[in-house]
Amino acid sequence: MISKKSALYIALLTLTFVLGGCTAGPTYVTKGSEFPKMYEEQPRSLLILPPMNASTDAEAKDYYMTTVEIPFAMMGYYTFPVEMVGDVMKQEGVYDTEILYNLPANKFYDYFGADAVLFTKITKWDLSYMVLASTLTVAIEAKIVSTKTSQELWRYTGMVRVDLSGGGDTGGSMAGLLVKVVATAVNSAAADYVTYARQANSRLIYSLPMGPYHEAYMRDQTVKLVDQTPKDQ
Amino acid sequence: MKRLKLLTLSTFALITLAMSGCSTHTPLYNYGEYSENYYSLKKEATQETALEYQKSLEYCIENAKESRSGRVPPGIYANLGYLYLKAGQNKKAIENFTKEKTIYPEATFFMDKMINKVEALEQEDDK
Repeated sequence: MISKKSALYIALLTLTFVLGGCTAGPTYVTKGSEFPKMYEEQPRSLLILPPMNASTDAEAKDYYMTTVEIPFAMMGYYTFPVEMVGDVMKQEGVYDTEILYNLPANKFYDYFGADAVLFTKITKWDLSYMVLASTLTVAIEAKIVSTKTSQELWRYTGMVRVDLSGGGDTGGSMAGLLVKVVATAVNSAAADYVTYARQANSRLIYSLPMGPYHEAYMRDQTVKLVDQTPKDQ
Repeated sequence: MKRLKLLTLSTFALITLAMSGCSTHTPLYNYGEYSENYYSLKKEATQETALEYQKSLEYCIENAKESRSGRVPPGIYANLGYLYLKAGQNKKAIENFTKEKTIYPEATFFMDKMINKVEALEQEDDK
């Protein structure tokens, strides 16, 4: 099964190479080589912190929070109840993400007994309107930090960009243009950010080594990922 | 000889079944509509959305068997206990916090902290 898969990869890579000539395609890494500390420390529980919101949408933080628990739990980790944790932090006067993100990681062990902390940052959560089309972009950055060593164990980014205009003809009369603009506006109103936030999550979470409640725990080190490390580093 | 063949065949079938078990599409947990209802509650906190949220927690507990793990998902008992706590039903709150840590030992530290808080509240009320 595995050898078949890797054979397919090699074939695909070769094909990409031949077709692409000298231009470099994406390079691949494995979960094991990319995130060795996850396999060394083997954190069992994740404390999901309220996301840091770097987007222009003030409500993004609350909405995004409702999409994080499930995918990380499904990967086999114990996830602390997000709503409750948020309230407890508010009572402690540290709900402000700026403060939270600057706390030493071991504080989260002292208070919750969490093995690791998940920091998320919403970098984009917006609609961009253009005359003929509009796009919805949801982009998330995430990292897991150990509460024991304060080291970063995992980091990834996920982004989803959706064209809401739905294609169709671009030329035509002024009336046609107006109809198009109206149609776009209607589509945007109906667009659900949270649906796309979930998609962005599923893209970033694929790279996460499985947790102890998952069957593939510690056995997924050979799974291949697209290397996200910037080339100029 | 025929028997041996059958045995080999059935062993092979069993192995295939066991291996394909990993690729089944049944999710690890059955969260039902939890995420959707939590979102509705965040969007607009009304009595109605709060009730829907509580119902979705209860659904997760009642239908936990319909999942690969057969377990109630992480945090669900804790969330329910927290709702009871806010409603002043301390005994039920403690019950649920205890269930959370029984299923997930990772939660013991936090749940014990919550239980101690509830007990301290009760003692204050008794005075």
